[in-house]
Amino acid sequence: MLISCNKLKTHIKDSKSIDWLKVWDTFTIRTAEVESVKEVGNTFDGVVVAEIKECVEHPDSDHMHVLQVDAGEKELVQVVCGAPNVRVGLKTAFIKVGGHIDNIEITARPLRGVVSNGMCCSGKELGISDDHSGILELPNDWENGRDIKKYLPIEDIIVEIDNKSLTNRPDLWGHYGIAREIAAITDHELIPLPIEEVKNDQKDLAITIKNPDLCYRYCGLKIENIQNNHTPLDMQIFLYYVGMRSISLLVDLTNYLMLELGQPMHAFDARVVKSIEVDTAKDGDTYTTLDGVERTLNKDTLMIKNGAKYFGIAGVMGGLDSEILPDTTSVFLESATFNAGSIRKTAVALGLRTEASARYEKSLDPNMTDVALKRLLYLLKIENPNLVIASNLTDVYPTKLEAGHITLHKDVLATYMGRTLADDIVKNLLEKLGFTVEIKKDVYEVTVPTYRHTKDVAIEQDLIEEIARLYGFENFEAKPLKLELTIKEHENVWSQEYEIKHLLATKYDMHEVHSYIWYETSMLKELDLEKDGIKLLGKQENNILRDDLSLSLMNFVSRNLKNYHAFKIFEIGTIFKNDDNKRVLSIIWADDEKNTERVYNEAKSVTQYLFKILKNADVSFMINKDVATYYEKALSKNILVNDNAIGKLDVLAQKYTNKLGKKNVIVTVQIDFDKYVALAKKDLLAQEVSKYPVVALDYTIILKDNKYQDLVDILDSFKSKLILKQQLVGTYENKYTIRYTLGSDTRTLEQKELQTFKERFIAHIKDNGLDIIE
Amino acid sequence: MEQELNLLKENLAMELKNCHKEADVLNVKSKYVGKKSRISEIMATLKDMSSDDKRKYGSLINNTKKELETMVNDYLDNLASGSVATFDDTIMYDVTSGSLHPVTIIAKEVTDALKKMGFTIVSGPEMDSEFYNFEALNIPKDHPARDMQDTYYLDNGKLLRTHTSGVQVRAMEKYGAPLRICVPGRVFRNEDLDASHENTFFQLEGMVIDKNISIENLVGVMQELLREVFKSDVKVRLRPGFFPFTEPSYELDCSCLICGGKGCPTCKNSGWIELIPGGMVHPNVLRAGGIDPEIYNGFAFGLGLTRLAMMKYKINDIRVLNSGDIRYLENFKID
Repeated sequence: MLISCNKLKTHIKDSKSIDWLKVWDTFTIRTAEVESVKEVGNTFDGVVVAEIKECVEHPDSDHMHVLQVDAGEKELVQVVCGAPNVRVGLKTAFIKVGGHIDNIEITARPLRGVVSNGMCCSGKELGISDDHSGILELPNDWENGRDIKKYLPIEDIIVEIDNKSLTNRPDLWGHYGIAREIAAITDHELIPLPIEEVKNDQKDLAITIKNPDLCYRYCGLKIENIQNNHTPLDMQIFLYYVGMRSISLLVDLTNYLMLELGQPMHAFDARVVKSIEVDTAKDGDTYTTLDGVERTLNKDTLMIKNGAKYFGIAGVMGGLDSEILPDTTSVFLESATFNAGSIRKTAVALGLRTEASARYEKSLDPNMTDVALKRLLYLLKIENPNLVIASNLTDVYPTKLEAGHITLHKDVLATYMGRTLADDIVKNLLEKLGFTVEIKKDVYEVTVPTYRHTKDVAIEQDLIEEIARLYGFENFEAKPLKLELTIKEHENVWSQEYEIKHLLATKYDMHEVHSYIWYETSMLKELDLEKDGIKLLGKQENNILRDDLSLSLMNFVSRNLKNYHAFKIFEIGTIFKNDDNKRVLSIIWADDEKNTERVYNEAKSVTQYLFKILKNADVSFMINKDVATYYEKALSKNILVNDNAIGKLDVLAQKYTNKLGKKNVIVTVQIDFDKYVALAKKDLLAQEVSKYPVVALDYTIILKDNKYQDLVDILDSFKSKLILKQQLVGTYENKYTIRYTLGSDTRTLEQKELQTFKERFIAHIKDNGLDIIE
Repeated sequence: MEQELNLLKENLAMELKNCHKEADVLNVKSKYVGKKSRISEIMATLKDMSSDDKRKYGSLINNTKKELETMVNDYLDNLASGSVATFDDTIMYDVTSGSLHPVTIIAKEVTDALKKMGFTIVSGPEMDSEFYNFEALNIPKDHPARDMQDTYYLDNGKLLRTHTSGVQVRAMEKYGAPLRICVPGRVFRNEDLDASHENTFFQLEGMVIDKNISIENLVGVMQELLREVFKSDVKVRLRPGFFPFTEPSYELDCSCLICGGKGCPTCKNSGWIELIPGGMVHPNVLRAGGIDPEIYNGFAFGLGLTRLAMMKYKINDIRVLNSGDIRYLENFKID
């Protein structure tokens, strides 16, 4: 929202003593966020009032004129001007030779052979309107030669306030409310708004509210004999500076009131108004709004009706047939309050958010409607002293909003503030904002003005906020929390996550990635895969929540294969199964196809290591029968801890791997992280160590068509009391080297025993059909 | 004579340098100090010298022999103890290392700082209900706050959480009061992606519930937290904010780390970066969590972990964080 400081100054007593450039820093830390502060109207100088005394056509141009203007000097000045509205007697804005506009100095120069000593200006050229249809037309009683800035509020400071930070402050959606806030934070006095009272000695207008829960108040007033519908220049400049177009006095005044008080208003041509009714629409009805768009209504759309016909969408936009026309001299003025939620819903449903609806959505104060009417009347009368009030100020107000009362407990205030404030400080801070405070022994009885009581200030914490912000957050001391001696750790999910991530990154050189929680459509397409699952509403792409973390990471695999031929990535993320969140650790190895065996078995040892180190648990791998279509059936393994499945080992099927990159292998381990977290770490226990020496014997066994597991089975069936440990220490082609560590708790082994062991073992291997190299 | 003796020492030193094995050294030893060595020959000539020469050269020759012996023996000792390089000791292999995601690193720093102040880390679901994400936080159905957060609603009636604040009520229900928790986690907003907007990013929720908690405690925790994270006193300012679940509410800005507060595109020329919104927990939220607001109060805050990581590591495009591109990520080694 744009705010004009010139306007604010008119509402604050002794406003000169405020630094209007700096006060916005304070406003930001006391009230709401200021996005920008800009000085305007300082891009030109030397512009004076000048009267056209002579006007002849340019001898060498079909549209330019040669003017002799009175710019307050002894001699008339010759100027060439191309504007269509030049005429003798017109007073306009004139830049003299030596004046500047946008840093360019005006000099005397010939225009098609005729010297022009300066320039007549349009509003757009001066940056005070967007009108470039002709030169400015100034009032006749302005003195020739006088600086135009002496008459018009051209130099101003325009401030942009972040709308989002005003969401909860309906009172700040107009200049007057902002002025109240500035006055409070700078200790100045707010000037009451001049208004024009209505005698109410005439007839009421026909106004009915059918839905008092959606329309809280409706005020109407009929005014006749409006002859001057021309907006004064200063108001035009104000409107332009805060982002509104000037249209006509009546329309401009309704906008002006909205910008001043925050109260949206409407002026209807009184010739068409019969009787006003506020009612909801019928489902499916259509209505064409002021912007010429036909809108479809529903049963929740609140409408203004005129003689049973739709007349406007309440709080959002009027219609074409009620517009103010050039010959309009009598108007019906509407000033109403509607239910915030209803207006918001309508605006969203119609995709039509207007200045009016934006304000109504914030819950406006219904007690503002009649004030706004009286204020508009006051302003209209300045331009139209002979206007005639043709009705009562008709006020339909089913349930009056009264000021609020909140009891603020001194001890609660002291707790929140961390200190005790003196009674008069509390009273002063709140009363500056328009609250009234009655000091009692343990409490303050606070009256909340209705403009703060529509929703914003409802409980004592709301009052504490007002006190705290005006007191100034910068005036609070930093106080540490008292620490209990026992800290109870409620859960350790995060530290377990960090522990395992740290290990993977440091020990195994893996990279942690963060991915999206949904399958990327482009990735599914690349793999030519269909996936189903929980869907995001209203999205056509990237709209299926993932149920396989590793699969969702395949686009990362694809991306990184362009730069690396081997890498390892991991993530702990959420997947969705059975309509529930599930945490999963996914590790992915991408490597050359020729390294498949190594990578696959590395995946197993990494898994083993993780559980051994972090949980002191042994894992085993069992064939998995329930394999997703995109993984290799034969290679899928369940990862088991204590016979319970806790994860899976998979290899992306060749068909899909080829789509990601030629001659690669992609291996993945996925651990159910919820189960992992729940798995208690087995206690570490010390083990007795024999005091007698051990003997290590290495045997290299040659496998035929067998796998290592077959060898393990054969080795396991060989029993000897001497075996302390049996390890695979190396493989070369089909040769597997096994190391036996032999020993005894009670004696040093004798050569004879070792010899017997050796003979028995070799015989056992050969009996099982394998060769052995000693 | 003196010259020759010095030359002997020099030659021995040179030859020893090239010895990498004990046997080589022993060969050199016999050559220089053995029975048939030059020094032995010189010593043998000593008895035929005049008494002047004897006086002149006797001790010099003897000392040189001792020096030569010491040189060889020292070299042998060094060789035995391995302090002589017998291989190319100048090779430097490239160290490979994995990496943690920058957000994980920053989350660790922040949670470590909070842990020191007695906070414990808890978690909550990423797919959550409207109740925990909105209603329980005092955000009723038609509240404009639901507009401000463009939510991903799901076809199962749930939603992807728009903030970690949903864990506030879950934690109160689960653990009761007093409570001192923080919740790092992923959140989701229906946003179009560009250099500074993501639909998936990380926040950290913090909440303290106890008796007699004041705004000053909140300021104290914020200051301590920022000091720990930035390792210096960062300029901060508090200004009023508006959140339905806190009252009073505030926004904490810190001076822009990119431009140092002078104004730049990152801070929209204001010199300040919005970093930690928060406030005193609204009584309705306490009630929703089953805690009596007459007895307890507290504060809550939300910290943009992703934004903090971007500021701290000077990441200028948010999209790299969810790109999975190792070329970016591998810079984040773990200390």
